Amino acid sequence: MENIDVSDEFTFDKEKEIARSFSKRFQWEMLVIGVGQALIWLSLWPLVIYDYISLLLASSIAIICACFAYLPSHEAQHGNFSRGNPKRRWIDSFVSHFTLITIMFPHDLMRCTHMKHHAYTNNPEKDPDYDTASAKSLWEVIVRTQEGTTKYQRVAEVYKDDPAFMKSFNKGMLVGMLYRSVLLVLVVIFPLETLFLWWLPSKIGVIYLSTFFSWYPHYQTDIGRYKDTRFWSHWMPRFFNHSMQLHFIHHLHPGIGHYDEPKAIEALKPFLIARKVPGAEDIPERVKFNPLIKL
Amino acid sequence: MNKFNELLTNHISHWNMVWFGLIFWGSIFNALALNFGFDKNPSFFYIIGFLFGLLAKLRGTWLWKT
Repeated sequence: MENIDVSDEFTFDKEKEIARSFSKRFQWEMLVIGVGQALIWLSLWPLVIYDYISLLLASSIAIICACFAYLPSHEAQHGNFSRGNPKRRWIDSFVSHFTLITIMFPHDLMRCTHMKHHAYTNNPEKDPDYDTASAKSLWEVIVRTQEGTTKYQRVAEVYKDDPAFMKSFNKGMLVGMLYRSVLLVLVVIFPLETLFLWWLPSKIGVIYLSTFFSWYPHYQTDIGRYKDTRFWSHWMPRFFNHSMQLHFIHHLHPGIGHYDEPKAIEALKPFLIARKVPGAEDIPERVKFNPLIKL
Repeated sequence: MNKFNELLTNHISHWNMVWFGLIFWGSIFNALALNFGFDKNPSFFYIIGFLFGLLAKLRGTWLWKT
């Protein structure tokens, strides 16, 4: 942790105590979104195959589903459903595996690489998301997200001596291979449906994800607990980009549930300013509706 | 069994783009051709898919290099 001179009023212990009060609630909204979008996405297949709706309409819905697919898994990766209760851990696992079907991401691979992203944010060698976070333009983000498995081979090389990481990684790669096999079987039977309901939406979903979850929040930021993520504003209402303007609070306290972040930020704003979090002075007093739009 | 898994993983990591081109893009090109009324032998489109994948393998990427 950086040695910034802060008064006794803004100590880390006090910050943690406030953050903890927002880290208790069961994230039911995320459960509904995760399971809901995956069910909608699955239902598109018979609806298109039996000609109840057009492929174009179904593809548009699938793209929206894909954009909603990651965040519930992200909550699960941090154990924000089970909240440390071993009996509820299955909810984390179930929600994450199920919601990620839409974007063909394996839960175990996402979880182990995301934990390393938190541990080494913005480290060029060790942060698995550094490729997109360090992109200089949106175009670069798009190109880099399409790299596919090559990126993960590189990440595995960095962490090859970390047995816990490699165990999750290899498990994730197996599920990834299973996804690939299912895709290749489906494309032979239902070629255009597979292209427009799964492949294309997953690509668009991953670009959306990398842009708003990885690129914007870490754009041109430094290394260090209070420096690696920033507060930013955008022309797009925050509900359309999953409120990722507030992503820095997640990096400081990952246990805070996504829908509790606005309240947590309001409570922690003086701490964030004292710790010089990039953009903290611009945080509005009340984070409600769309105060984060830059016009 | 371990030896088989190792061989399979090794093969997939080296040739996945070519297989993907052949099966995925081959099927897509063939379906699009049928949709637009091209009456050609399906193997023609699978060969294009295969070449597409082979090119991606040689370049190391499907898209542009950064």
